[in-house]
Amino acid sequence: MIDHDETFDNDPLAGIVRASRAEHFEPGFSDRVIARLSANREPELSTVLERHFLKIVPIAAAASLMLAAYNWWGAHETASSPIEAVLNLPQVTLASAYAPSVLYGAAATGSETP
Amino acid sequence: MPDRTPDADLLASARAGDDRAFATLVQRYEPAVAATTVGMLGPGGDAEDVGQETFIRFHRSLDHFRGESSLKTYLVHIAMNLSLNALRRRRRFMLRFISRDETPIESAEPSVGPDGNVDADELRVLVRRAVAQLNEKHRAVVVLRMFDDCSTRDTAKILGLPEGTVLSRLSRAMKELEALLAPYVNGGAALPETTR
Repeated sequence: MIDHDETFDNDPLAGIVRASRAEHFEPGFSDRVIARLSANREPELSTVLERHFLKIVPIAAAASLMLAAYNWWGAHETASSPIEAVLNLPQVTLASAYAPSVLYGAAATGSETP
Repeated sequence: MPDRTPDADLLASARAGDDRAFATLVQRYEPAVAATTVGMLGPGGDAEDVGQETFIRFHRSLDHFRGESSLKTYLVHIAMNLSLNALRRRRRFMLRFISRDETPIESAEPSVGPDGNVDADELRVLVRRAVAQLNEKHRAVVVLRMFDDCSTRDTAKILGLPEGTVLSRLSRAMKELEALLAPYVNGGAALPETTR
């Protein structure tokens, strides 16, 4: 690394300057570096959760898309709107809303007579 | 007894997760990194923080180090970049929080011996103080060429400068240092001229 043919090799001032360089940090420097490395390796809970969340997001998105496509494929001809088809919402009419089974439960429509 | 394992073997072990091998590399190159960060930032916490950060960054980039430059040059390069960043942060902090009216604290005059010279320890402190007085550009060149023994070519590469600029900055910086240190060396007489 040293260029022996370069300038300042025999300069007394350069010698004085070179001799004044710092050689070390406080004792135990390498231990402190390794301790910092170890601390950096232990991830925080938020980092772990974020990492797992990022892994799950694409899978969840793909599953949602597949389910939506499946719903739409099965109901797009009968559903009144694309949203209903995608979400697979049951069709609600006035008659079905006031049906005795909805109002009083399944028991009300049975064979029980007053 | 110093560990004589070659760098390449230590690097391979460190890449495989051996912290002891990495610690040996830290011990081996601590002088080069300390010379850079203490030279640029002065002694104290900042220099040590930047020194630690240098090795942390190096550890992160272990897989990318291909040995195109020597390990020392590679580490000194990281240390110099981080030191320059720290100096910029320090300058912003000073501009924001320190009043311009504040005068710098004067340090005690060194004791001069009967021969007109100061002792070696005091001279070391004086030289470091003089280097700290150089402007950032000149200081970086002095630190790399004088403290780290980098070649002009490596210095130019690290600082992203032409070699001619490195030489002219070094020459100016040494003249400044000579003026700053003249009262303390050679009994206050000018240093002998050498080929520069």
